[in-house]
Amino acid sequence: MATISLDHAGSASTSPANPMRLSREEHERLRRRHARRRAFTAYAFLLPNAIFFIAFLLVPVVFLFYLTFHNGGIITPARFVGLENWQRAWSDDLVRTTIRNTVYYCLLAIPSVFIIGMFLALCLQRVPRGSGPFRSLFYIPTLTPYVLAALIWLFVVQRDFGALNVFLGLFGIPPQNWLGSPSLVMPSIAMLEVWRGVGFWTLLFLAALLALPPELYQAATIDGASGLQQLRHITLPLMRPTFFFAVVMATIWNLQLFDSVSILTDGGPSNASATVVWYIYKAMFQFNDKTGFAAALSFVLLLFILALTLVEIRLLRKRT
Amino acid sequence: MAIETEFGELQLPAERLSAMPGARSRGFGSSLYQIAIYGVLIVAGIIAVIPFLYVVSTSLKDNASLFSYPPEWIPSEPTLTNFQTLLENYPYLRWMLNSLIVAAAVTVIKVLIDSMAGYAFAKMSFPGRDALFLVVLMTLMVPFAATLIPLFIIVRNLNLTNTYLGLILPALASPIGIFMMRQFIESLPSDLENAARLDGCTEFQIFRRVILPLMKPGLVVLGVFTFMTQWTSYLWPLVISTREDMLTLTVGVQSLRSLFTVNWGVLSAGAVLSMLPLILVFLFLQRYFIAGSIAGALKE
Repeated sequence: MATISLDHAGSASTSPANPMRLSREEHERLRRRHARRRAFTAYAFLLPNAIFFIAFLLVPVVFLFYLTFHNGGIITPARFVGLENWQRAWSDDLVRTTIRNTVYYCLLAIPSVFIIGMFLALCLQRVPRGSGPFRSLFYIPTLTPYVLAALIWLFVVQRDFGALNVFLGLFGIPPQNWLGSPSLVMPSIAMLEVWRGVGFWTLLFLAALLALPPELYQAATIDGASGLQQLRHITLPLMRPTFFFAVVMATIWNLQLFDSVSILTDGGPSNASATVVWYIYKAMFQFNDKTGFAAALSFVLLLFILALTLVEIRLLRKRT
Repeated sequence: MAIETEFGELQLPAERLSAMPGARSRGFGSSLYQIAIYGVLIVAGIIAVIPFLYVVSTSLKDNASLFSYPPEWIPSEPTLTNFQTLLENYPYLRWMLNSLIVAAAVTVIKVLIDSMAGYAFAKMSFPGRDALFLVVLMTLMVPFAATLIPLFIIVRNLNLTNTYLGLILPALASPIGIFMMRQFIESLPSDLENAARLDGCTEFQIFRRVILPLMKPGLVVLGVFTFMTQWTSYLWPLVISTREDMLTLTVGVQSLRSLFTVNWGVLSAGAVLSMLPLILVFLFLQRYFIAGSIAGALKE
């Protein structure tokens, strides 16, 4: 390696004559060559990832944009249709319904998992011993694939023998048609996300809680701050970066709700649980080759998530 | 706990001590508080596992006792016929093997190439590094569902529908591992690599002999995370695998429901069999799972 002459300069400098001393230009030349070589190595390290990243992420995003202006492409060759798909997406009633349902679902599910998750994390933090088994218990639903969780949920919300109706029956509450009623269906699906997701957020919040500096609590205790005051003035402000990360991630995930809807209700009853990704899937694979329309809808989802994430980053950064 | 000894030295009254979160409690009021907390945790734990137990109980019932009212929590005549029907009539073990192959392949490749890219972003300087990393960060926000359609067309045109490659390749594009590995490697001290560099190691040798051994915990976390993501993935296998013997576990088990609209017994047997390996792996590796989420959070 050419750079070895540089690397050995250190040991050579012990000799009084120092034959390794380089002229300024020579030094500069070697430095540039070294930088080039290092850049080359760095690109070599990135290359394997870059191949997949470009082929299966960047190209699809560009291709998606192209598809929004075309029709067909699966059975028939793609045909340029200008803004037709965008106009259809704009005027399609079901698009509005799916956006409304998806946002409604997020508003139901995200605050619930965060509040319950934070509450359980605070409980776990206050337990002097034996929190290990609880952590594992809470985590098990999170391990479950969405599909299995949704299948398991079928057994919970099923009208005739589902666990929830059996439980409510103990208090004399008549059985509810959880998945069959337009007003109950989204809350039922959000409950599934709460059951499945709470464990993940609990452990995430607990990890953040345990990493908070204990000195602040010592100082606050000496100053006579109560537990609640400490929570409000120390814990919650310090947890802001964690909440920030959590809100951004949860929004991106939950706006893509598909798995549980596809298994529990397939969008019904009367589209009350139709979500954006469900509609993309349906338009593409089950209605007649509506590729362009589905692409336009996908692009709306992409822009919506990008915009919302940037707004969240702005809002939450500003306050810190 | 260090806090306690420090407070002991300060000789603060005991009731102030108990105001500390995590401090050991003394006295009647705080033990009531402790009982309340344990109560909350126990109720939450029961809610977490009850649906599983209910499905296990259903899988052991025959179809006649399934709809008996009031429902039996513990089947009076447990039977394994549901499991037998499942294994005899469906390529269930094949689905499990498919999931295993796909998840294992993606995990091995991702851990390798993401740690390489993470190393380049964390420790090397090259033109365009910050711009490229910004691209990685931006694409973290691209939802997979939005690229579903172009991906489907691309993979279909490559003639990879109903193949393992078709299931594996798109999963390799996810940028989140690069991000995780870069954060992790950045926190490693540079002294060891510099020492190796002075000893004449090439960058690849440094990566293999210095960085990789140091980042073992990070690799395990990324590995568990990637494996779980693949094992649970549904939307992509649903569109790209249509032949029954190429389905993954999630799609296969789900198809039990569409084929047998109401065969609750077989469905529950499928759910139980699919959960079992996950729970077993979790019980053995739980410190990695939980350490995983904790490490991830601490890096934030």
